[in-house]
Amino acid sequence: MNEQDVLVQRFLDQDLTPDERVQFLEQVDADPRLRREWLNLEMVIAEAGRLPRIGPSTQFTARVLEALDPESKSLLDRLVGWMTAPRTLQWNLGGAMASACVAIVAVAWLLRLVPVRPVEVPFNSSSAQMVSLESTPTTYVRLVLVQPWAQSVSVAGDFNGWSPDRTSMQRSDGGVWTTTIRLKPGRYQYMFVIDGKQWLADPLATEDTGDGFGSQNAILDVGTTL
Amino acid sequence: MPVEPRAGDDEARLIARSQQQDPEAFGQLVGRYAGVIVNLAYRMVGNRADAEDLAQDAFLAAFKALPMFRADSKFSTWLYRIAANKCKDWLRAKHSEPVDLDDHEAVVAQVVETHTPERLLSQQQVAQQLEGALQRLPPLYREAFVLKHVEGLSYEDMQELLGVNVDTLKMRVYKGRVQLSRELSEWNDRQLPRSR
Repeated sequence: MNEQDVLVQRFLDQDLTPDERVQFLEQVDADPRLRREWLNLEMVIAEAGRLPRIGPSTQFTARVLEALDPESKSLLDRLVGWMTAPRTLQWNLGGAMASACVAIVAVAWLLRLVPVRPVEVPFNSSSAQMVSLESTPTTYVRLVLVQPWAQSVSVAGDFNGWSPDRTSMQRSDGGVWTTTIRLKPGRYQYMFVIDGKQWLADPLATEDTGDGFGSQNAILDVGTTL
Repeated sequence: MPVEPRAGDDEARLIARSQQQDPEAFGQLVGRYAGVIVNLAYRMVGNRADAEDLAQDAFLAAFKALPMFRADSKFSTWLYRIAANKCKDWLRAKHSEPVDLDDHEAVVAQVVETHTPERLLSQQQVAQQLEGALQRLPPLYREAFVLKHVEGLSYEDMQELLGVNVDTLKMRVYKGRVQLSRELSEWNDRQLPRSR
């Protein structure tokens, strides 16, 4: 780099003092070769500053963000990933006991909200279910009748002197009427009494017999072992 | 420094959130600086596809390194430095490959100009020649020239960005200018007989 080159570069870099700039311009005016060299350099700088600026494509930012986390492509994917990501739970005894207490209270509270509704299942053979208690010589028999429109239902038979008022049945959802009676082993005849006036043989009984008045009594056979 | 489009408290908040690896905040920073970084990369490597890839690499590297970023330098300078290093690495790897001159025409055609057709033609021709000549500069001269005269940085900013002292940078810019001037003069001389 000769002296003139240094002068030109310092002028372009604006490193010259005002007096030096005046001297430089006088030299340029007097020297066509120096003038041409200087103007060519000025043109390069000017054209470089005018070069078109290249912008990013419209998808550039999205591509960068996608590359940050290639696994997550959508909100749903991120949600699924978050839900299924394995996690390690840290716990201590105090926290565990507190959580257990909260859970117990919550379950108890939920149970209070659930109404007590015994579900009655119609029988596919007989309406009478019998449960033998080995410690006693008697058997508990459960009678079931489906009468959705009945206002009251009772059962009358050998075991209660054929009284329609002594053994009433309880209604549950769906119009199912039930009662449980305690009987000693033996064979019993019985009928249902609907609304205190309509007598009805058990339609699900597996055995029945005539009552001498043109109707059928259901037979309940209570054995010693069931 | 031209790469500080909307610096301020808002940017400080975005940087802080990005340091916590918040992609949404970092996306806003990408949106602000994508233009300058892609343009720098394009001027360094000479084609748009590689420029975008390098700019993307630069942003990804910045995201990973953000937790270590300290406010002792401007975010834009820090980001610029990452991008410049990416470009230099790329140029080292591609040192022996010739520059695709055809790509320059495609890029220039995408730029919206408001000048008259005559002025556009002339300026496009000069711009094409200058872009071609830029790609033939040695990478260190190209880097210094681009930062100084394309991006408009001061020597002091360049020193902070590149970690090279001002005198060395001035020498690189000088050599870049001279080589570009020579090439454009030769091209201009070749054009004169045709126009006569």
